[in-house]
Amino acid sequence: MAKTNMSSKRRVAATVVVLFAIIGLFVVRLVDIQVVRAETLSADSLGNRSVERTVYGSRGEILDANGVVLAGTVMRYDVALSPKNASPFTRTVDGVETSVPLAQSVAEIGAVVGLSADQVQALITDSLADNPKSDYALVAKKVGVDAFRELYALEIPWLTFTQNPGRVYPNGAVAGNIVGFVSSEGEAQAGLEAGEDSCLASNNGIETYERGADGVRLPESTVATEPAADGSDVITTIDSDLQFFVQQVLAEQAQKTGAAWGNVVVQEVKTGKLVAVADYPSVDPNDVSATTNPEDRGSRAFTASYEPGSTFKALTAASVLDAGLATPDSQVVAPYRYLPENGANINDSSVHGDLRLTLTGVLIESSNTGMSLFGERLNDQQRYDYMTKFGVGTETESGFPGEDPGILHPAENWDNQTEYATMFGQGLTTTALQVSSIYQTIANGGVRMPVQLVSGCRAADGTLTEVPAAEGTQVVSASAARDTADMLEMVYQQGWLADAWNIPGYRAAAKTGTAQMPDGNGGYSKGYLVSVSGFAPADDPQYVVSVSLADPVNMNSSAASAPVFQEVMSQALKKYRAVPSGATAPDLSGTW
Amino acid sequence: MSDNLARVLTADARPQFTERPGADERRHIEIVSPSTHKRPRVVYALSAVACVGAIVIAQLLLSVGISQGAYEISALRASQVELGRTADSVSEDLIRVSSPQSLAANAEALGMVSNSTPAYLRLSDGAVLGAPTSASGSQAGAASLVPNSLLTGVPLVTQVPAGGQGASVASGAPAAGTAPVAVTVADGLPSPTTR
Repeated sequence: MAKTNMSSKRRVAATVVVLFAIIGLFVVRLVDIQVVRAETLSADSLGNRSVERTVYGSRGEILDANGVVLAGTVMRYDVALSPKNASPFTRTVDGVETSVPLAQSVAEIGAVVGLSADQVQALITDSLADNPKSDYALVAKKVGVDAFRELYALEIPWLTFTQNPGRVYPNGAVAGNIVGFVSSEGEAQAGLEAGEDSCLASNNGIETYERGADGVRLPESTVATEPAADGSDVITTIDSDLQFFVQQVLAEQAQKTGAAWGNVVVQEVKTGKLVAVADYPSVDPNDVSATTNPEDRGSRAFTASYEPGSTFKALTAASVLDAGLATPDSQVVAPYRYLPENGANINDSSVHGDLRLTLTGVLIESSNTGMSLFGERLNDQQRYDYMTKFGVGTETESGFPGEDPGILHPAENWDNQTEYATMFGQGLTTTALQVSSIYQTIANGGVRMPVQLVSGCRAADGTLTEVPAAEGTQVVSASAARDTADMLEMVYQQGWLADAWNIPGYRAAAKTGTAQMPDGNGGYSKGYLVSVSGFAPADDPQYVVSVSLADPVNMNSSAASAPVFQEVMSQALKKYRAVPSGATAPDLSGTW
Repeated sequence: MSDNLARVLTADARPQFTERPGADERRHIEIVSPSTHKRPRVVYALSAVACVGAIVIAQLLLSVGISQGAYEISALRASQVELGRTADSVSEDLIRVSSPQSLAANAEALGMVSNSTPAYLRLSDGAVLGAPTSASGSQAGAASLVPNSLLTGVPLVTQVPAGGQGASVASGAPAAGTAPVAVTVADGLPSPTTR
């Protein structure tokens, strides 16, 4: 009995030892798997079945005032092939397995992406020559859906596709100057694309899910590690139809007159909204490289300032009227050459005898000497203050990137000539937008409205942010603005371009400008910047149209821009159903 | 308090010795019939096993259902992606042909000209506001001044072969019911009857 006890005890002990040894082994293994190598192993196992996928957030759209898409996002596909795997494969056609030789597949690929079979073949051989294990060679970037489908249907196993969202501008060059463009990598480069990038930008997300051996997503396994965020839409004040018309008319006239460049601004009088801003030459954002000169790829209306010339006289006249130092009927004798006491030397554009002009007549004749005689009634600081209140010397509120503030030196830095030159638009620079804004102020009863290009940034849930201020500022009194408008209407009726810019049925107000252009070396070139700015209907102003053409070699006077003003203004009035003028125009005398 | 003295046990201290062989006592000890205890155990076991079986089968069916759903979802997702692509492609075509350049070029190809001289008839007194003049077609042939590279290769309506549906949207578009119907204007332009 004792013997069996002993042996059984030993057996039990041995079993326990073995058991503990096994348990110890398991524990060690467990710790090894669960703790030491846990991360690597679980990553490995997940890697076998989990798939990580980029979820693209789409960049916001740029819309015109009526919701027409000026810039949108579309899905494009990058096509690549694996050179080391490029070989014949079998394809099932009508239930029959057929072998497709390499020559046939490269020809099929080439036919879709617009390459020859040899070019695709060369792509494969070149990559393999570089690196015999090459697994990636890009065939085509950003092909459209149709091409992608054709390629996909080829069932070539060594052809791969990567999604790559692209930017598309359905209206081409319409508003291309304002909308701007993005690089092929999607980086905003110009125009509103760059200026409103913070509103438009989207964030790509990452989605992870697990899939079975047959590629089917396992139920309930989707983990959106990082949700994608779509960009918000930018809503502009531009009317794409009018913009097209204006660009068309401008381009036509610029080509006819041989202008180096030109722009047209159409602005709503009551709101300060920009309805159209056309530039020539312009850019088609779909094909940026087609516009060879980089300076033509933006909008000079915003980014280029120049001496405005005589269109600026309206500002001087309004200032003098507002200060109560003259009326439209105030009289001066305007000589051809005027030599004020301070030593400046002012002359008119063409030789004439002394003219007995009223302030209205000075504007009709566009007399520099006459304007000087009125302008000097205000001191420099007063005129400087009026100019700044009209928006000269500061960027407008449009928010366009790289907008030029123009050059307006402080009054105390004006030399004797500048003192007078600033009365008729030389010795300072303005952008087309600033000139338009001056006329908007005069047309709107002396209330300057902030220049609006973007009416807001609209998030996906419809909330509108970045809504611009719509508070106007009274720059000159309503009566001074009304009188200036009346005088400008006389210019429109009696000026030398009266026939060229006549709009039947409507009363309008307009002023020409012929400014000398700098030659880049501190002097003036022989070219002129010819412009017309005005508004209509004069009895209830609705739209400002401001036209500028730079150096129209075939017709170096404002006569070059007058037809553009006429056509654009007619179209704007027609399109927006402005009521034709009923009341008769005031009758102001230009001479005495 | 222990000692080794003999004690006389009192009667009531030893009742077990006096009553040990009692027949009455024997009546109370019975052999419990094994069947009455084992029968319910089998039922329990069976029902538990059945339950487990049912659960297993239900779970199996469920997971079969779910994986069936997964395949269905997968197929539906694929078709959703495909349909999304079709929608993208078609709306891209639509937006492209509705661009001002395309409309202007097509209108001109159809013989339309724009008239930039507006004229109005005031109903109150029949006055003609503005000077009505016939359109000169000032923009004829100038449609290319505002380029749109997306329109390259898109034919004008007048260039589309008769019976065609527009080359740009031909692929994959349903053929039925889209053939253009020639409108014949016999008695003036068709207009709704207003009473």
